[in-house]
Amino acid sequence: MDRAETMRRVAVIGVGHSTFGVRGDVTLQELAWEAIAEALKDAGLTQRDVEVSVVGVVGTREYELMPAVPVNDYAGLTHVGPIRVEAACATGLAALTTAHNYVASGMADIALAVGVEKMTEVDTATSLAVGGRAGNYLWEFHFVGTTMPAQYALYASAHMARFGTTEEHMALVAVKNHRHAARNPKAHFQYEVTVEEVLGSRPVAWPIKLLDSSPISDGAAAAVLASEDAARKLGIDTPVWIGGIGYSSETPNMVRRPHYVGLEATVRAAAMAYKRAGISPTDVEVAEVHDAFTIAEIMAYEDLGFVEKGKGGKFVAEGQSDLGGKVSVNVSGGLKGKGHPLAATGLSMVYEIVKQLREERERGRQAPLKRYVGLAHNVAGIGHQAYVVVLRR
Amino acid sequence: MSEKRTVKRQGPTIDSIPLIYRHKIPISKTHKFWQGLAEGRIRATRCGTCGSIYFPPQDDCPKCMVSGLEWIDLPNRGTIETYTKVYAKPQGYEHFDPYIVAIANVGTARIIGWLLGVDDEKNVRVGMTVEVGVVEVEQGKLVPVFRPA
Repeated sequence: MDRAETMRRVAVIGVGHSTFGVRGDVTLQELAWEAIAEALKDAGLTQRDVEVSVVGVVGTREYELMPAVPVNDYAGLTHVGPIRVEAACATGLAALTTAHNYVASGMADIALAVGVEKMTEVDTATSLAVGGRAGNYLWEFHFVGTTMPAQYALYASAHMARFGTTEEHMALVAVKNHRHAARNPKAHFQYEVTVEEVLGSRPVAWPIKLLDSSPISDGAAAAVLASEDAARKLGIDTPVWIGGIGYSSETPNMVRRPHYVGLEATVRAAAMAYKRAGISPTDVEVAEVHDAFTIAEIMAYEDLGFVEKGKGGKFVAEGQSDLGGKVSVNVSGGLKGKGHPLAATGLSMVYEIVKQLREERERGRQAPLKRYVGLAHNVAGIGHQAYVVVLRR
Repeated sequence: MSEKRTVKRQGPTIDSIPLIYRHKIPISKTHKFWQGLAEGRIRATRCGTCGSIYFPPQDDCPKCMVSGLEWIDLPNRGTIETYTKVYAKPQGYEHFDPYIVAIANVGTARIIGWLLGVDDEKNVRVGMTVEVGVVEVEQGKLVPVFRPA
């Protein structure tokens, strides 16, 4: 018997999302509450129904260094868990995976996963230094002062040299995602940009420019999960099922990577998720992918199997990742336009895909669906870890 | 161009008590690397049992479950595999001019370092040959560097 067959089916029955952006008006726990309250209301549940709470937070830029218990307590979940989860920028889907496993295994019927991050309480140089230390301080940051954008730029340069990917291709990702963010009232950047503006923005780590980069944001997102029995008893009319989860990781040493043109952790995580969900990449209609920098979205098209390796630039240039294209990618605005509050990001992706699969999105942002298959792709560091979750109606 | 609508909500704040970290990083098991660096050499370790070369160096081979690996000097010539120029500098690097970070393949390993002797990053080519060295870029800070060969 396949291992997956011994697990119970798990549904997402409620989702919540704070407004992303510079949220100097709230503390971490106040911000988390915005997402938790919306998710509970969306599910039609109260805190008393939640059997386990999973709090995802990276917590390296906050004044509260061990924030799981304060977050839970503020939200009225004082005695429920919490299980704290950290997987750098992939914390959100790692938290979802943990909550899923509680329900799938039968340890709980109802679980809540929240991802929350406050990144703007410290200045930008401090934030860059924290990010640059991610995954491997001693042998990289300590010597050569790499930052997160610099590490992605190493991939961009290699991808350009090997496949002829251009700065214009990357700019097109920013233009597309800003177009969606402009229509998302919860996005950090609710405005459009042009190719010329992206190409003319100041360099951060060549060839990555400011408008190729996701912003430093505050935000929270949450999901309530239920077993199939619990979802039926609650009378949930539009459960969205977790079809399959995949995960993997890669060496944190850039110099030990096999190449710099894709993220092997994503390739492996996607293969696992597709196998468990019994689908192929061509079944995916709507996807939220980890576009921390524009080159990351181009590599994601390839590593997730939407297009063959090396053709990611062409894929965006042909409009195949536009709303209504071969795969509608980052219709929330992505990390680029919506913002990237580390631990919130993965659950923000789940929020968007659930809303899309329920066809609750406003005109101009609802992806056309036939198979009702969506995907979320969350990456830690530069492919240090990757999580892929297939969601379906 | 549309109006630049950005979420930026500010309110009154108070300052936290500052927290300063300065770690003591143990280098007992990689001492020969740091010694080599001071002599201008970049060293890796090699497992005598399976032949694996470790760079960054480590004293333990998890494949063979053995420790006390042998030390080797890496070649001082290689080719650039990829590169970037860091303009937005992190804390601790603010006082440097924008610097080019590159990864060079020296055959037995890859090394990350600063590329010197090239002003404009647009003149760097993947595949270009470089010489590998070590430079004290400021008092007490040794950095592996590459120069066009």
